[in-house]
Amino acid sequence: MILRNFNYFSREAFRSLSRNRLLTLATISTVCICMLILGIAVLITVNASNFMQHLESDVEIVAFIDKSVMPSQVQLIGKEISTIQGVKRVKFVSKEEGLEQLQEKMGNKNLKETIGENPLPDTYEVQAENPHDVPEIARTIEKIDGIYKVKYGQGVVERLFEVTKWVRIVSITVIVLLAFGAVFLVATTIRLAIFSRRKEIYLMKLIGATDWFIRWPFFIEGLVLGTFGALVAVGILALAYNSLINNMQMVFFLPLVVKSEVINRLYLSLVGIGALLGIVGTFISVNRFLKV
Amino acid sequence: MLIQFYNVSKIYPNGVKALNDVSLKIDRGEFVFLMGPSGAGKSTLIKMLFREEIPTRGQIFIASRSIVRMKRKEIPALRRSMGIIFQDFKLLENKTVYENIAFAMEVIGAKPSDIKYRVPELIKMVGLKGKERCFPGELSGGEQQRVGIARALANQPLVLIADEPTGNLDVGTSNEIMELLYDINRKGTTVIMATHARELVRHARKRVIMLEKGRVAGDYPDGEFLA
Repeated sequence: MILRNFNYFSREAFRSLSRNRLLTLATISTVCICMLILGIAVLITVNASNFMQHLESDVEIVAFIDKSVMPSQVQLIGKEISTIQGVKRVKFVSKEEGLEQLQEKMGNKNLKETIGENPLPDTYEVQAENPHDVPEIARTIEKIDGIYKVKYGQGVVERLFEVTKWVRIVSITVIVLLAFGAVFLVATTIRLAIFSRRKEIYLMKLIGATDWFIRWPFFIEGLVLGTFGALVAVGILALAYNSLINNMQMVFFLPLVVKSEVINRLYLSLVGIGALLGIVGTFISVNRFLKV
Repeated sequence: MLIQFYNVSKIYPNGVKALNDVSLKIDRGEFVFLMGPSGAGKSTLIKMLFREEIPTRGQIFIASRSIVRMKRKEIPALRRSMGIIFQDFKLLENKTVYENIAFAMEVIGAKPSDIKYRVPELIKMVGLKGKERCFPGELSGGEQQRVGIARALANQPLVLIADEPTGNLDVGTSNEIMELLYDINRKGTTVIMATHARELVRHARKRVIMLEKGRVAGDYPDGEFLA
C-alpha cells in the first residue's frame, strides 16, 4: 500500500515537473540564485573568519624578566607562567637570542660591537589557547615576582577583537537574512506552481483524497527542485572558487581556505539547505490550497 | 434515512443569509430534484452535503453521522461515499478520458489492478467506448458530462450529487444525460440534482424540493410537481 502510493507520488511529481517546464525552470533558477548568493556569503564569511583567526593567533605575550633575577629563578618563573590557565605554549628567549633576533631584524651584523654590553632582558614568549584570553593572562603574568613588564600590543589587540567580533555578528546576520529571503522567494515560486494546479487539488479534495495524499507529490517536487537548484549553484560556486584559488592566491597572497574537507562540507550543506528550502517552501505554500 | 437536515441555517461571513431553518429528509435510493431561483440556497445546500460548507445553526446527518461534529480527517471518508458532477464538468484538460476517470480512483489510493478493471466498465456504461484516449477539449459538452458522471461513479458512491448537470447542454443532450442518471438511480444509487430546468423536472415525475429565499417552499412527492 505504502510502496504503491510512493510510486504514484513520484510518478505524479515527475509528470508535473516535466509538464510545467516553465515553472520548473523558474523554481530551479530561484533556488539556484538564492543558493549562489547564500553560498558566496558563506564563503566570504568562512574566509573572513579564517583570516581573523590568522590575525588573532598572531597575538602573543612577551614577558620581560628583571635583570636582577637569578638564572635559577628565571626557570621557576617559566614554570609558573606555564601553569596559568589558558596558556598554550611558553618559549624562553634569552637575552643573547634576543639580541641575535634584533640584529637580524635590523640587518646590522655588528650591532653587538656597536652597543657594547647587551642591554636586552631575558624574555618569555607566551601563546594563549584562546587569543581572547591574552589580556587576562598578561595581567596574571604581570603580578609574578621578577617580571618587570608585559607586552602584547595593548589597545591594538582589544580593538582587533572588537572588529572581528562585529565582522562575525554582521556576517551571520546577513546569512540568516539571506536564508529567510530564500525561503520566502522559493515559497512564492512554488505557490505559483501549485496555484496553476488548484483546480486539480480542489477536485482531489472533493473526491475524498486525504491531505497527505495530495501533499506528497508536491513535497517530492519541492525536494527535487530544491536539490537540483542547489546542485547547479554549488557547481557554479565550486568552479568559481577553484579558479579564484588558482589565480588570486598567487597574486595577492590571500589566505583563502583551501582545505577540501571544509569546502566539501560547505558544498554538501548548501545542497542540504537547498533540499530543505524546497520542502519548507512547499509546506508553506501547499496548505492554503487544502482548505476545502 | 440517508440524509437529514434539522433546522439548518447558513449565514455567510459577508452577512448573506443563504439558508434559513431548513429541515428535510432524503431516503436511500430516492431521486430528488432541488429547484428554486438563483440565490435560493441550492448551491449552499449541495455544498453542505459534501461538507464544503458547514451550517451556522442546525444539524446535518449523512448515513447517521453528523457532518457538523465531523473532524477534519474524517471528511475524506464522507466524500468517498459520494460522487459529484458539475455544471462546468470540471474535467482535467491535460488528462485523457481514461485518465480523468482513473484519477478519481488513484487519488483515494485504489489498486492499479482495480482501476484497470473498473475504468473500461465505466466508460462502456456512460457510452463513451472508443473515446478513451480523447482529451476533454476534443469532446462535445454532452460527452464531457458523461466523463464527469463516470468519474463520479468510479468509487461506487451511495449518493450522486449533481449541481446543474444540464445547465450547459442543449435539450436533446440534456435528455440523454437525464436518462443516464435515471438508469444509475434504478441501480440503487441515490441521486440529488439541483436544476433550473422546469420542463425537464415536470417530465421526470420525481420528488421535488422547492427552495425560495433560503427556505423550503414546497416538497412534492413523486409525480406531484406539476408547475
